[in-house]
Amino acid sequence: MPTRSEPTRWSTVAKTFHWLMALLILGNGAFALWMDGLKPSLNKINMFALHKSIGLTVLALFVLRLAWKMFDRRPPDEPAPRWQQFAAHLVHGCLYLLIVAIPLSGWAFNSAHGFPLQYFKQFNLPALVEKNEELSNTLGTVHVYLFWFLLLVLVAHIGGALKHHFIDRDDTLRRMLPFGRAKRNSPTSSGDTP
Amino acid sequence: MTLSTRRLSALAVALALPFAASAADYKVGPGSTLGFSGKFQGQQFDGSFGKFDAAISYDPANLATAKFDVSVDVATAKTGDGDRDKALPTADFFDASKFPKAHFVTTGFTKDAKGNVVANGTLTLHGVSKPVQLKVVFNPNAGGARLSVTGSLKRLDFGVGSGEYKDTGTIADDVLVNGSLNLLPN
Repeated sequence: MPTRSEPTRWSTVAKTFHWLMALLILGNGAFALWMDGLKPSLNKINMFALHKSIGLTVLALFVLRLAWKMFDRRPPDEPAPRWQQFAAHLVHGCLYLLIVAIPLSGWAFNSAHGFPLQYFKQFNLPALVEKNEELSNTLGTVHVYLFWFLLLVLVAHIGGALKHHFIDRDDTLRRMLPFGRAKRNSPTSSGDTP
Repeated sequence: MTLSTRRLSALAVALALPFAASAADYKVGPGSTLGFSGKFQGQQFDGSFGKFDAAISYDPANLATAKFDVSVDVATAKTGDGDRDKALPTADFFDASKFPKAHFVTTGFTKDAKGNVVANGTLTLHGVSKPVQLKVVFNPNAGGARLSVTGSLKRLDFGVGSGEYKDTGTIADDVLVNGSLNLLPN
């Protein structure tokens, strides 16, 4: 498994970041929708604390991912019209912004509400803003709407990947799949592709 | 020592004797606070009781006659968080409708190794009576005295936090109590 990305496939590290964060983000979103409906209880408080800890993990992973990107190269785009390549990168940029904005808005929401922020019951993180009920309500709404926006952007991201896979029949999706690799021989590949 | 100062000293002792024999009685004046600090999700929160009353008899020179008798309306606890303040009087915590008052009454006073005065007493909270110790700092002033007390207790000793709220991983068992009373002569 390559540590760094090759033209025909993303590195194991890049794939791990991609799929682990995809799982955590979507899982945490679904979890949040479920926990919101719980009756007030200590269990609910603990479920919210878990949601916050997972969100902070996503934020930490994103920082590591950015650091990794500075070191790793990325496979070149598959051939496509320029506007499609531009759209793909725009969507990707939106995803990155949202991956930061959603946890940060949640953190600020938590601070404005006056809740402590404890990471998996291990240590506490500081408040981002002062306690403020009005701001808390606004940030809570922002936090949720940013998630709905993320889902919209994901429709474009996933739709694009599926379009490349099933219509263009290129390697865009395959080279990011956990055990996938490019099916076509690339002139720059090391020759280990079948 | 001259004769006159010796006389004055004798007079002072004579005047002081009746007061030394029995502690001075005080009531609680304005500017008094009674509070507690707990820990929720690893972060300290501070609360205070809006309504409480105390009868204090205290003379630093004669601790044998000292007595604190404090009663607290537990439903008046405020901690700066609306959700928590709504939860505290319910059956999950203080159960204020069933046990509206907490009561602390001293059984005796001692001095610790450092010379601090310690009030030993019984706290009745949530229908449970347990011994609690308070460190006492007493400073007489022009109008009376300032009495400061601090102590600690375990909330679960008193059954404060029932069912899932017994979870000390989220709500710490240890609670600090503090009081700063502006004492006026009774």
